[in-house]
Amino acid sequence: MMGNISALAMSTFLETVRDRIFYLVGVFGFLMLSSTAILSPLTIGAQGKIMVDVGLAGMAIIGLLVVIFVGSGMVRKELDKGTILTILAKPVGRREYLVGKFLGLNLTLLTMLAIMGMIFLFMTFLAPGTFSLHFVKAFYLTFLELTLINAAVVFFSTSVSPILAAVFSLGVFLVGHMSESIRDFGQMQGDGFQQKMADVVYYMIPNLEVFNVRGAVVHGDPVTWQHLSMATVYGLGWTLLLLLLAGSIFSRKELRG
Amino acid sequence: MHLGYGTRVAWFPLNHRNNSTISRFQAFKSRGWVLSFQKVVTNEPGPAGPDFALSPVPTTGLKQTAEVCLGSSPPCLETVDALRVLDLSKSFRSGFLRKPIRGIDGVSFSVPRGRVFALLGHNGAGKTTTINCILDLVHPDRGQVNILGMPHGDCAVRSRVGYLPERPYFFEHLTGRELLNFYAKLLGVQDGDRNRRIGELSAKLGFESYLGRRLKKYSKGMLQRIGIAQALLGDPELLILDEPMSGLDPMGRREIRELLLEMKEQGKTIILSSHIVPDIEQMADTVAILREGRMVMIRDLADLGAGASFEITLDGNERMVAEDVEVLSETLVRSRHENRTVNRIQTRSTGLEDLYLSVHYRKEAVR
Ligand SMILES: Nc1ncnc2c1ncn2[C@@H]1O[C@H](COP(=O)(O)OP(=O)(O)O)[C@@H](O)[C@H]1O
Ligand SMILES: [Mg+2]
Repeated sequence: MMGNISALAMSTFLETVRDRIFYLVGVFGFLMLSSTAILSPLTIGAQGKIMVDVGLAGMAIIGLLVVIFVGSGMVRKELDKGTILTILAKPVGRREYLVGKFLGLNLTLLTMLAIMGMIFLFMTFLAPGTFSLHFVKAFYLTFLELTLINAAVVFFSTSVSPILAAVFSLGVFLVGHMSESIRDFGQMQGDGFQQKMADVVYYMIPNLEVFNVRGAVVHGDPVTWQHLSMATVYGLGWTLLLLLLAGSIFSRKELRG
Repeated sequence: MHLGYGTRVAWFPLNHRNNSTISRFQAFKSRGWVLSFQKVVTNEPGPAGPDFALSPVPTTGLKQTAEVCLGSSPPCLETVDALRVLDLSKSFRSGFLRKPIRGIDGVSFSVPRGRVFALLGHNGAGKTTTINCILDLVHPDRGQVNILGMPHGDCAVRSRVGYLPERPYFFEHLTGRELLNFYAKLLGVQDGDRNRRIGELSAKLGFESYLGRRLKKYSKGMLQRIGIAQALLGDPELLILDEPMSGLDPMGRREIRELLLEMKEQGKTIILSSHIVPDIEQMADTVAILREGRMVMIRDLADLGAGASFEITLDGNERMVAEDVEVLSETLVRSRHENRTVNRIQTRSTGLEDLYLSVHYRKEAVR
């Protein structure tokens, strides 16, 4: 079983990685370069902070684009073109297939984040007084967050069209970053119903602010190990849940003949 | 058990002398058993019960198919069949109103080991649906499928089956070698054997020099070959090929045909679908004709072969027709004596084409 999953993951990794996706890394490098160039008149300290802020946000957004756009079409393309038939006609379970695809794309994501992270560290290293190893913690949390989004994309793409899957996943991303605010807003309303609704949203949608430590990192505040481990459990928990749901939908799904 | 004159046999009367029954009896014969079709048949099972029984299998669309069930001793006919399909049905729901569309309805057949079985039918007749239901890629609404003695839902049986889908399509950015390696891993081919198998198959199918290229650059015919290679990777006992000749030029068709006949010689069972009569004529032992999702006819090609004839072209322009192989050889001997040149010998239709067309244009609809 692990053999099947790793074979699927490797082929998915190669297939996605070779699909001109690394131009996006170039975009990232350009983004960071221009953020330093444009902002050079600012004081040295401020420049570094903005570079870190732009860089971390850029990494997350480029990673998000990859996961959503590659992920949403990934399963559907194989369903439409029939590649999936050759795979599932072999001793491969449908759940194994899904997990293999998920891991393959996640490996691509990890590779991209690693390369962008390297560029990031290199450039902050060049800017005086900016570099910190705490950045790696921010990278890690971004990876966890996008892993969760990847699982959401896989979950949606088992039941709806690629475009809807992309839209829904993007929705999860956006609402996920606001869910705390939504809950707080609900809490402020006196109305019990509104409070309940806000709570429902809070628990139905993963709270992605857990993975956002940009503010802390930019201002040099510590990111505790406790926070990291809680975020890990939270992120992997959601990922697992989404994959389990996706698996049970997919194993009952009608493939096109 | 000795089967011979006087062996007690339960015989459930059939509407006609069913071809598959006869071929089953021939299977006994080929094992050196004394068996005469007429003599062993008695209408009454004896007090001791039948030694073996022919039981009708309920099928729709077909008349009656006979099933030979052998009581105890070997060779048990259970092991003879590579594939059994019983009353397979599937309808699809599509469109806004979810109106059901018939995919297939009540398809039944069985294929003894080592035979080539063809599904023939126009586009939309249900060939692909039948094949996908057999492999449980599409879950049938009704019916049973037994592959190599195992239910088709059993994952384990899949490593013994090779499958080529219609219009195969694979990852674009992998090389041919990487793709085949991937499939070999899924099939559980051992590390050491993988490269050897891939080398052998690519050489045989003539795409060895393309192995290092990305699949994006492959032509349709090359992809078809890769598809056949991935079906053969695990050295399967049963091959299921959906339109294996489509997208190939005449040379390619011939190569595939020869390859499949070689597979047959190795004792593999082959199920293939096609809408092209000559392809089937040249390969299949048995053909099932599908129309609008129903199986309307099943025939051994050997039985149609009575109509086989040859067309001989002599001295450039003179045409002669020989009704069978004997007449053909006589004609050839004669023409050698007369010092004439034989330009060409061509087989003429075995009658499958006529049969197919008559089935298709038959006025009364298949319901
Ligand atoms: N996924 C599907 N959704 C809806 N209808 C389908 C689907 N697959 C097949 N059909 C219908 O089932 C019938 C049989 O199709 P198919 O098995 O593909 O035929 P063939 O392979 O002989 O050309 C056709 O009428 C086709 O429209
Ligand atoms: Mg078809």
